[in-house]
Amino acid sequence: MVNALTCLLKKKVTEEAPVRDDEVEAIGREIKTAIDAVFGRSLAIRELDTGSDNATEIEINNLNNPFYDVERFGITFVASPRHADLLMVTGAVTHNMAIAAKKTYDAMPSPKFVVAVGDDACTGGIFAGTYAVLGGADKIFPVDLKITGNPPTPTRILAGLLALMKKARKK
Amino acid sequence: MTAENDIGIRAAEEFLGPSALADRIRAGPNHEHYVRIEEPEFESAVEHLAANKFVLISLFCCEGFTENAAQTLFYVFERRSSILVLVRGVNGSATSIAGIYPAASWFERECCDGFGVEFAGAFDTRRLFLHETYPEGFHPLKKAFKNAPVLTKDAIDPADEYPFREVSGEGVYQVPVGPVHAGIIEPGHFRFSVIGETIFNLEIRMFYKHRGIEKLAEGKSPQECVRIAEAVSGDESVANTTAFCMAVEKLSQIPVPARAWYLRTILLELERICSHLGDQAGMLVDVAYPLGANQFSVLREECFRENDRLTGSRFLRGMVCPGGLNRDIPKVSVDELAEFARQLRKRYRIGLKIVLSTASVIDRLATTGVIRPALLRPLNITGPAARASGGKVDVRQNHPYGIYDQFAPKPQRLRDGDVLSRFTIKASEIMDSLDLIERLVAAIPEGDVRSDAPIRDGYTLAMVESARGQNLCWVWIKDGVIERYKVRTASFCTWLAIEHAVQGNIVPDFPVINKSLNLSYAGTDL
Repeated sequence: MVNALTCLLKKKVTEEAPVRDDEVEAIGREIKTAIDAVFGRSLAIRELDTGSDNATEIEINNLNNPFYDVERFGITFVASPRHADLLMVTGAVTHNMAIAAKKTYDAMPSPKFVVAVGDDACTGGIFAGTYAVLGGADKIFPVDLKITGNPPTPTRILAGLLALMKKARKK
Repeated sequence: MTAENDIGIRAAEEFLGPSALADRIRAGPNHEHYVRIEEPEFESAVEHLAANKFVLISLFCCEGFTENAAQTLFYVFERRSSILVLVRGVNGSATSIAGIYPAASWFERECCDGFGVEFAGAFDTRRLFLHETYPEGFHPLKKAFKNAPVLTKDAIDPADEYPFREVSGEGVYQVPVGPVHAGIIEPGHFRFSVIGETIFNLEIRMFYKHRGIEKLAEGKSPQECVRIAEAVSGDESVANTTAFCMAVEKLSQIPVPARAWYLRTILLELERICSHLGDQAGMLVDVAYPLGANQFSVLREECFRENDRLTGSRFLRGMVCPGGLNRDIPKVSVDELAEFARQLRKRYRIGLKIVLSTASVIDRLATTGVIRPALLRPLNITGPAARASGGKVDVRQNHPYGIYDQFAPKPQRLRDGDVLSRFTIKASEIMDSLDLIERLVAAIPEGDVRSDAPIRDGYTLAMVESARGQNLCWVWIKDGVIERYKVRTASFCTWLAIEHAVQGNIVPDFPVINKSLNLSYAGTDL
């Protein structure tokens, strides 16, 4: 009893939320409304690296850090393509990844979206036309949106998703 | 270092004799020594070096280097601060040294894929970076092949599938993982052989992301190649571009202004802090401790934002160039950085204290994924992974570059080699890097940040200490363009350490063991 009381009275070990940035908040509110309209509550994303230099992965991962915390806006990253509404592709498509990438896409239920994130995924970038890659993601499956950048910032990726949701909503 | 006390030269004298050595040795522009070696002497030379504790840190091939030989193999050996390169001319075949130096196995397979050199007596001759869909007899790094799209197979016949090592016995079953993983990470395949929950054997297959970096660099101007060096591995952009530029500067004898080296060093240390913070956050996610993970990921995001303020890039890209830096960082930003470092340290300490006093975290990290010290030398394990297993390896101390001879960080060393040791080493290194940044900001001189001296032809080897360890590159410039750009990141060597570290651990601990090393797939696959 005494222990429980001291625990209750003790100062809480919590942290203040980090500085919110207004741009992210504004995009986030809009995207939440758009996702609600298109998918009814949440957007499940499967990330697929087909040959990036890992900077884009880091930025996509950053979407989950407390600065962005995109789960608040109804965006979740899922472990399996079978649970996903959207495939986020990073990097030029290498020959060594092409078969696995196609299998990942095929495993997703329809309707599905594909977003190419970063210059390499959009066009093949500096690797376009070389022996080791097929080119951008659109060489192996239809791409609905391209977010350029080397790598694009988390805010830019979020803005890209918003544009896609708005487009989908109109359809 | 003078030639007399160089242990590499002494060793070469021992296996060749002083008179024979004199006309076969050549001093490279960056403290390395090249020794031409004939076929009959080769094996005994390698055995001699192995007996004298030399570590094989790289082995690569190039064409058109030696007269009367189709290919030239460069065997790069290191001991303490000495670098000895054995130069061996071959014609399509060579004897393998993988039996003496296990690290040679991946290197030899890489040479075989790239150039078609067969290694006799090798215990593993499977293809490495060219997976099943590439045609037989295709060797992209041969000069005769012009870089252009190749026709690959659309599907793999089950008979042609990559043969993994078979482990059999009562109750042994396989767990295949990847190349597409559950998290937001890079692709690679892990083939576990498991008894119950315990890992009996792990075989790692990489190179899914092979993008042809080395071939792409050929024929490019050194300035164009900086962008390629940056793409080797996103979170090692500064380290790899610095190594590349340093090689170009050394072989061209370009003097780099002091201010440029101070700023480069600041960028290198910022990159290390970002990487280590990310690793620590990742390890805590993998042991289900989000409170600690979020503490560190907040600090990391702030570092990325500071990077952006300083350089206009969250990954510090577009700064390092041959001769120094593309642009200066204004004094006011540099001064702010010192304050940023002080604040970061204060908050980092609070987070670290919470994490290290949480029993459930320690319970998961301690005694997990041990890398035995005996593996360090045979596999050339470097960086925090080696320092957590008692290794005295840090390029900043062993081969100081730039201004690291004046600003060498404290040597850090732990002995247990488990995940907790790697976590703790990384924590110490973050603190050291923050200290170093403050000292650099206080001492930074005024002046230019770039020298416009011309780039000349030549070749040399350069090494830097990236967040993951020793990153090495060899650059050969011929007629003003890149003839060969060989990159070997620390990750390439350290992957094999994971195969050993996981043995006897349970499968659910694999993610945290993997994250504690946080190797770069892109930097390995090239």
